[in-house]
Amino acid sequence: MKNYNFLIFTLLTMTLVVSCTDDFNEINERPDALASADVSAKYFVTNTQIGLFAQDRFTYWRGNLIHADRYAGQHTFGYSANWWDDGACYSYCAGWTNDTHDAWIGAYNSQLTAFTNFVKEGGELESPNYYAISLVMKALYYQLYTDTWGMIPFSEASNPDITQPAFDDQATIYSSLISDLDEAVSIIGSQTTTGSGVDMLAENDLFFAGDLQAWKGLANSMKLRLALRAYGAPGASFASSAISSAISSGVLASKNALIERDLEISQWTSAVYGDIWHNFYGGGNWHLGKSLVDPLRDNNDPRLPYMAKTSAGGTIAWNKPTEGDGVALFDKHVEYLTGVLDDQDAVYTKTANGDGYTITMPAGVNYIGQPTRLNAKIKHMLDRNLFSEPAAIVTNAHNSGNPIYPRIVFPAAESHFLIAEAITLGLAGGDAQSFYQDGLRHAMALWDVPSSEVENFIATSDMAKLNGSSEQNMEKIATQKWLAHYTDGFEAWAIVRDSGYPSVLANGVSDPDIFGLGELDGAYPQRFQYPTGMYTNNESNLQSALSTQGPDKLATKLWWAK
Amino acid sequence: MRKNIFLSALLSLTFGLSAFAQQISGSVSDDNGVPLPGATILIQGTSQGTTTDFDGNFSIESSDGSTLVISYVGYESQQLVVGSSSLNVQLVPDNALDEVVITALGISRERKSLGYGVTEVAGDDINVIKNHNIASSLTGKVAGLNITDTGSFGSASRIVLRGNNSLTGNTQALVVVDGVPINQDGINSGDSIWENKITSGGLTDVNPNDVESISVLKGPNASALYGSRAGNGVVLITTKKGVAGDDLGITLNTNITFDNPMIMPEYQNVYGQGSQGAAYTDINTNWGTANWGPQMDGSIRPDFTGGVSAYSAQPNNVEDFFQTAVRAITSISIQKGFDDGSVRFSYSNNDTQDLTPNSHLESHSFNLRGTMDLSDKLSIDAKATYFTQNVRNRKSNSGQSIYGMLYNMPRNVRLSMLERYQVENPGTPAEFKVLSYGGANAQTGNPYWMSYHDENLDRRSRFFGFFKMDYDFTDWLTAFVRVGADFTDSKIERLDKPGHHFWTSGQYQLDMANYGEFNTDFVVTANRDLTDKINLIATAGGTLSKRTSEGFNQFARNFKIPTKYFFSNAVEIAAPVHRPVMTKKVNSVYGSINLGYDDFLYLDGTLRNDWSSTLSEDNRSYAYYSASVSALLTRFIDPTEQTFDLFKVRAGYAEVGNDTDPYQLSQTFDVPGQGYLGLTTLTAPSVKLNPDLRPEQVTSTEFGLELVMLNNRLNFDISVYDISTTDLIFNVPVPAATGYQFFKQNVGEVNNKGFEVTIGGRPIQSGKFVWDTSLNFARNDNYLVSLIDDVESFAYLNSNSGDLQLRAQVGGSIGDIYGTVWETNDSGQNLVTAEGLHVISAADNLLGNAEPNFIGGWSNVFRYDNISLSLQIDGRFGGEFYSMTARDLDVNGVSAASLQYRDGVTLSGTNTGTGGANNVAITGQQYWSSQSGIAENYVYDQTNVRLREVALGYQIPNTERFGVENASIQLIGRNLFFITKDSRGGTGFGFDPENMLGTTIGAQGYQSYAAPSIRSVGVNLTLNF
Repeated sequence: MKNYNFLIFTLLTMTLVVSCTDDFNEINERPDALASADVSAKYFVTNTQIGLFAQDRFTYWRGNLIHADRYAGQHTFGYSANWWDDGACYSYCAGWTNDTHDAWIGAYNSQLTAFTNFVKEGGELESPNYYAISLVMKALYYQLYTDTWGMIPFSEASNPDITQPAFDDQATIYSSLISDLDEAVSIIGSQTTTGSGVDMLAENDLFFAGDLQAWKGLANSMKLRLALRAYGAPGASFASSAISSAISSGVLASKNALIERDLEISQWTSAVYGDIWHNFYGGGNWHLGKSLVDPLRDNNDPRLPYMAKTSAGGTIAWNKPTEGDGVALFDKHVEYLTGVLDDQDAVYTKTANGDGYTITMPAGVNYIGQPTRLNAKIKHMLDRNLFSEPAAIVTNAHNSGNPIYPRIVFPAAESHFLIAEAITLGLAGGDAQSFYQDGLRHAMALWDVPSSEVENFIATSDMAKLNGSSEQNMEKIATQKWLAHYTDGFEAWAIVRDSGYPSVLANGVSDPDIFGLGELDGAYPQRFQYPTGMYTNNESNLQSALSTQGPDKLATKLWWAK
Repeated sequence: MRKNIFLSALLSLTFGLSAFAQQISGSVSDDNGVPLPGATILIQGTSQGTTTDFDGNFSIESSDGSTLVISYVGYESQQLVVGSSSLNVQLVPDNALDEVVITALGISRERKSLGYGVTEVAGDDINVIKNHNIASSLTGKVAGLNITDTGSFGSASRIVLRGNNSLTGNTQALVVVDGVPINQDGINSGDSIWENKITSGGLTDVNPNDVESISVLKGPNASALYGSRAGNGVVLITTKKGVAGDDLGITLNTNITFDNPMIMPEYQNVYGQGSQGAAYTDINTNWGTANWGPQMDGSIRPDFTGGVSAYSAQPNNVEDFFQTAVRAITSISIQKGFDDGSVRFSYSNNDTQDLTPNSHLESHSFNLRGTMDLSDKLSIDAKATYFTQNVRNRKSNSGQSIYGMLYNMPRNVRLSMLERYQVENPGTPAEFKVLSYGGANAQTGNPYWMSYHDENLDRRSRFFGFFKMDYDFTDWLTAFVRVGADFTDSKIERLDKPGHHFWTSGQYQLDMANYGEFNTDFVVTANRDLTDKINLIATAGGTLSKRTSEGFNQFARNFKIPTKYFFSNAVEIAAPVHRPVMTKKVNSVYGSINLGYDDFLYLDGTLRNDWSSTLSEDNRSYAYYSASVSALLTRFIDPTEQTFDLFKVRAGYAEVGNDTDPYQLSQTFDVPGQGYLGLTTLTAPSVKLNPDLRPEQVTSTEFGLELVMLNNRLNFDISVYDISTTDLIFNVPVPAATGYQFFKQNVGEVNNKGFEVTIGGRPIQSGKFVWDTSLNFARNDNYLVSLIDDVESFAYLNSNSGDLQLRAQVGGSIGDIYGTVWETNDSGQNLVTAEGLHVISAADNLLGNAEPNFIGGWSNVFRYDNISLSLQIDGRFGGEFYSMTARDLDVNGVSAASLQYRDGVTLSGTNTGTGGANNVAITGQQYWSSQSGIAENYVYDQTNVRLREVALGYQIPNTERFGVENASIQLIGRNLFFITKDSRGGTGFGFDPENMLGTTIGAQGYQSYAAPSIRSVGVNLTLNF
């Protein structure tokens, strides 16, 4: 019988095993995370803003710096101590394109979608005012996204029941975003705050500290940007009315949408230029593009010393190589670079020294930009002391105790430039030059230029006056918009593609002895190629988009491009 | 008896020595009286023993009452209690091959009754040629056991049986020590292309000298009783213990090897550092790693130090950095039996130097095992093992590693010039900066800085052990209760000092983690002959399994005073990341029935039900079963046993359910430790979690045939299997437009089919000379049947430049290697850019697969008198890998291959600029830079065969007069040379195809700056007292 007792004991023990699952639910709840019951909407706003505009170093470096800022002609690689020459990524850079998309632009949609789903009608934190904010963020996001890649999933996006969202053409995306912005404007109406108590948005809103009227202005400004970019493109019939309704409803005229830099945060959470500049030597330490320095210097723009440093100068040797491929090209390179210096009115002397030359250049005098897309053959002559670096406020790093230039989201200046553009195009009434000059005032204020210098510039510089043909005026407006987006390469690059200005960029390059022509064969890059992930996780929709849009190449022009 | 003085002193101090030993001599013959040379005589429960000489005679020192075990391959072992000083033994041929093997739950079973594949490896097979890592020692010894290493010293291995059964879940075999599962996870298993310091864990913490035997249960059929964790097979380790009634036994073992690189990349020694054919002149430019200068003619030129030196070839500047490393593993074990119990203690010390300077591993392992009979029914068995290991400067194996700096060394750089890696008394940040061959502005590290200046300290300590109580109700009904525990604490401190080539402002990082596991089992076993012909073995049991883990990580960068490195001295301190205790529990009940009929037909059935805390209430309980049959057809096929001693066929079917990790069910939000401007922020997850997750389902079918022939001189074993996993728990990659990057779902199906063959025997037994041999080989084919609709592949890893991707591909398999090729036009002509460079395709061409087609090994033991020679040759056939190292060495112009086209080349193909035949010439530097973007050029065949192990042993005779009962010495060698290997078209390719990026599933098929594989030669000495 004893044996049977044991068997009974065993069965009882087994029963114990089975029933002993009381704590299973509890131990499977993650202790270091919040459930939806723990959170309120305002906390999502901050992350939705920094996720798009103040991202981590990894994607900041690969997306903004390596690609957009250089395509925009504002920064250049390739002085002699750089890893890369400035021809880099004018052929498709698959890895860095993937990183830009997958780790930043694509991944960001999780933040936006979660926020939107929470605050939309029927969401767990339903709130029309927050929903209006989410619509404005959506417009900022999708405009950046579609202007970089072209057709993307939009109308079927953010729907968890659709795992293979179809791509929409840019006309659809633009017109839908304008409708979304209209909805945001109408929700906000005359309200100034999002609500009270826990619903009150204040410092968590990095753009406007919760000022809903500023959000309304941003909505109208975004609408104006979108409509003007679309204007003239096939099927953009919605543009004209959107332009006039945006202006009449009130754009973001006096406040800038900016993100103040967190001076202490880890660069692996949110990067600034200086982080990479200072600890990626041999790869960072880029120069200002000649296309950026030229319009500032040539027009006596008072921003120049605030945005740029003078060339360090000193004694610079251009040694003729005694071996290798540089020997035959040396004379041509000397001639070209001498031209670059002379073209920028540089103060220097050039004396022959054996087979080479010695350049002697005083410090603190010259602002000299480096031409974009110079190739590896000429790189050995690109001494870092020849060219201008960005101003310290651009290249200050986190935790250095120094101020750092804010992240540009939507400068008030642009609103004024856009209205000036609309007037110039005959799409709105008013004095284009007056809006243009107000735009200049706001743009210069971003760099803390004293108002006396600003007013002197406006009074004396031809650049400050819309006094030419319509096309000449459009060029000035485009150039100033592009300058106002310095450090915001994605929008600056879009402005070049949209307007064709600065034409020195848009026209591309052609001499393979000097420039890296890349697979574009010297032409200006028009878009990013799609990330390779899209070819595996949404291939049939992607292929159908390509049949509409054209080959998946850097050279394929977008719907609105000039 | 005589002992040497030292040992006598030691022993009398510790034990008060009192054994009475006597000399016993005798002979061993077969049933016809023919002497059996080379038969083994072992004192039971000890490692003391001897073998018979040519005439079948032996002599051994033993004490009265101890048991001698006399064994010989093909004969039944005999046990004799020592009573007189002379023994003559006749062995009977082992017709039925009643070999007993350890199976699931530690249950011993007759091999012949098993319906599934099990391979046993004796302890001696892994502890003569020792390795820090038992897993490495198993390579080539078990059919179908696929071991991959990372090459880095002190790191773990990847252990896979019968292919990958899951996409992202665990695919490695479970390791069980004395019936208790142990945690296999290291703190870092590595799949980063940037930085990989693969830590050890699991098997690496088991002292090889404690291993009695290893039983490899290959598939779900064999391991169904272990449940979900064992769906990928089990490596069952049985450790040594003392035996009641035995004499005192002491074993000393020391194993010393001298290690050198087995293989190095092949370099060119004609051209030196420079670019575009010109040497660098100005250290303020970025010299980087480019080695595209002119021919090294010995002329005096500026060098990277800012001085000048002769521009001449330094052919050994990479190899000379490595040193001969000494590895010493020393163990002592002491065991003694008492009337009703036994105790065994062992200590092992491992002191292993790395090939790179100032880098070494030190470990201590203490093991105490005791058994005791409390009554004639109740006995206990308990073990406690404490293991502690310190590793200084564990090596990373990616591009940012020391190998990245070393392998790309420009050909004219003298190592002596690198020894100064920082200026004296640095003050400014610029002065702190590392001095390296890349010139003043480079982001190139100095290998001496990385060895002597930076610090990486890694400490693990681990306790594992069990307590087991056995109760015999009757002679046929027994039960046990066992509590097993496994706790690991690990800490890694890493310091990159200010001026470091990448972490310029300096970085200090602290990682701490602990893992715990408790398993409580109870099992009742009935073993009874129901009739004359029918035997029943039935077991029923249950397990409560609880696993916990906890972690802490913090780093700091930029130091206020840049000569001291601790958190409060840091300018930038990241928010600490604490991962609170994560618990997973699995409760199980199970049972098995084994019916034997007339010693020829065996039926096996198992049933198990698990309750997992990781699944929702509706899905957490899941049951699965297995059934197998084996039939011994010898009596029907060859009744007189003239040819076949055993003819066995077997078949089995098994199902196993598989759960997931904790916290995979409901959506939560993270609060980043660093908000923004002091504000609280929330981040939404990119994985859409799923409350309805179900367990994965593994089903396996297996057939086998086992033959023993020609009077036990030849044996053959084949297993054929088909394993399918469905309902894989998987993060399905979805378009980011969905609002997520992954949906967690049960999806798809993975299939593995394959076979394992072992052929062995004794081809020669002639006089004193005996040759035993065993050949095994196995093939596995993995096939990804489906994921979800519209999703055809999943990427494990992308190279930095995007030219290579490791994938699981529907219609293909897990580990497929995709990458770029040289683009052709519709008529098949290569396309060339307007600038004369290769036009490179998208990275979507199938270039290979990371899994080999065949793996196999061939072990041989030759014995002549008391001399033995063991040789093991093993290899893998087929399978590919991508070598980032080979690519970089070409890009930088240091590889032997890069000598080609130094004077420029015009690619043949169609120029896309002109549309006609290309006539644009490019330089050698442009050529290698351009062609390196074509991943296809750097995908290599893994096929290689190597002489893995050699041991020449000598059993020293007549040691008794020195007080040593037994002494043996072996000269050992490991990884001696490749017999064949992909040689990259004859231009040399110096990497080991078995060293991968890491031990995870996604790191296979990708090699990036692996440490050189190690060739060891040395000596193993064992003394028994």
